[in-house]
Amino acid sequence: MSTSPAADTLVSALQVGAELAAISDATAWLGALGAREGWPDALRFGLELSVEEALTNVISYGFAAVDHAPQIRLEVYRQPHGRVAVRLIDNGIAFDPTGLPEPDPAASIEEARIGGHGVQLMRHFLESLSYRRAGGENQLTLVAGPKAAD
Amino acid sequence: MHIERDLVGGDVLLKVAGRLDTPNAKPFEASLMEVVSTTGGGIVVNLAGVDYVSSSGLRALLVAGKAMRTAKRRLALEALQPQIREVFDISGFSTLFEIS
Repeated sequence: MSTSPAADTLVSALQVGAELAAISDATAWLGALGAREGWPDALRFGLELSVEEALTNVISYGFAAVDHAPQIRLEVYRQPHGRVAVRLIDNGIAFDPTGLPEPDPAASIEEARIGGHGVQLMRHFLESLSYRRAGGENQLTLVAGPKAAD
Repeated sequence: MHIERDLVGGDVLLKVAGRLDTPNAKPFEASLMEVVSTTGGGIVVNLAGVDYVSSSGLRALLVAGKAMRTAKRRLALEALQPQIREVFDISGFSTLFEIS
């Protein structure tokens, strides 16, 4: 069920396979869409990266313990003032990445923890990241704005 | 993703090109670790041809970096494009690696 504000325009949507190899196809699709829509390079880079991080989480952990067929869908919306919203919808286990802690800065390579940097990158490159669980689906909305181009 | 390998002085120079994304991260890590385990000198990773890196790509570099540190060998990165540098800065990796 979509709750997009009326000002949003759905530009395109894509079904994504529940395997890591599908991530390249999804980001390539997003990149091509960005080129067509005239997104600034920095916005496109940040959005591709953020969508990849979100998809990696969903595909890696979302379906390990479910017995129904995985469904993963990306919807891209044009928003006012040059913003772009991507909604990632999946029917995996409930998972809210917005509350994930960021790794502590490591003083040395020996101390550096492997993993956990995805959410840090998403917070940097996005204007907002919001989550809701509805109808057995995770809905993660990633919004990037043109100020990322600065 | 494409990796070219040269010997410069006593160091292995790896010229990487393409996207260091999640699907490429495992083969990238395997290539790095193969060089770590089959050579004895330093390793320089040239990223001039890399236009995209995600946390999975960072992770591969960290795994190799930790192995090199344990072996007391030098792993250096060079020629990062601005957006790649930004990813390194945000994640704190700029201070963990020698970057030129």
